[in-house]
Amino acid sequence: MKRPSEQPDPDWIGDMLDDLGKAPVPDPSGDLVARVLADAEAHMPPPGGVRTVPPVWQRVVQGIGGWGVIGGLVAATVAGFVVGVGTLDGTGADALWTLGYDAYYDAELGLDAFGWALEEG
Amino acid sequence: MPLDARSDDDDAALLARYARGDAAAARALTVRLVPRAHAQAFRMLGDAAEAEDVAQEAMVRLWRVAPDWRAGEAQVTTWLYRVVSNLCTDRLRKRPRSGVALDDVAEPMDPAPGAEDKMQDDARRDALRGAMAELPERQRLALSLRHFDGASNPEIAETLGVSVEAVESLTARAKRALAQALKGRAAALGYKG
Repeated sequence: MKRPSEQPDPDWIGDMLDDLGKAPVPDPSGDLVARVLADAEAHMPPPGGVRTVPPVWQRVVQGIGGWGVIGGLVAATVAGFVVGVGTLDGTGADALWTLGYDAYYDAELGLDAFGWALEEG
Repeated sequence: MPLDARSDDDDAALLARYARGDAAAARALTVRLVPRAHAQAFRMLGDAAEAEDVAQEAMVRLWRVAPDWRAGEAQVTTWLYRVVSNLCTDRLRKRPRSGVALDDVAEPMDPAPGAEDKMQDDARRDALRGAMAELPERQRLALSLRHFDGASNPEIAETLGVSVEAVESLTARAKRALAQALKGRAAALGYKG
């Protein structure tokens, strides 16, 4: 059970709140109404409700030239990948392994037998 | 044409008209909502100029959200009430705390009748506003709806989307928190705490 000092009677808080609620409030100025109406006009969509600001993804697409340019970029990317793979195929698929991390790592450290020499001293 | 020419439409319908580029709807919403937003902000801040800035900012947010407003999900007045409350709370929390005890305030040289009472009223209201700003949002909204707008518990429950029992709990906890925050200052503020 809490002591009285730990459980304050909030009645006087209700009185304070009522006092604040009853305090006189000035009318909004004509200037405020004018400012709000000016804001409303500035942010108002055009008649018909067409959005004046398109979504971000639409703006990005439009910014780089539209859907035609996007299609061209995709086609060029696919073509480049196909040509690149075809070139590697001329030297054999094993050439891919020469680019691998493991071969480089072992060659630089002079390790063989999966590095057991290093571990065994 | 009178400003509030579309008084028959509800707020959501007016907002939808505004989103379709209807300037008359903007005027009607302004006449209908700005006085309420301003009064709420003034009670929370106690400063007419700041209250006007808050009311304007809240209305700007309403204009911006209008094209994406989904009718039926929330009431415009409830949404605006929360925006104003949060804008006021942000301002109150940024205000420097005076830390001056009421007894330390110097007496005016030639006090006009009631000047001391007015000073105490101002100090009391400022202390309450500062303490309310520290409350959780739902407690703050429940208290202000009850004591500033005269809303009943069922009305507050509908506004906040909670049960009546939850409203009773929110307001009771809010008052206890305020009493705790103002503990020790009740007598100086003119109350018997």
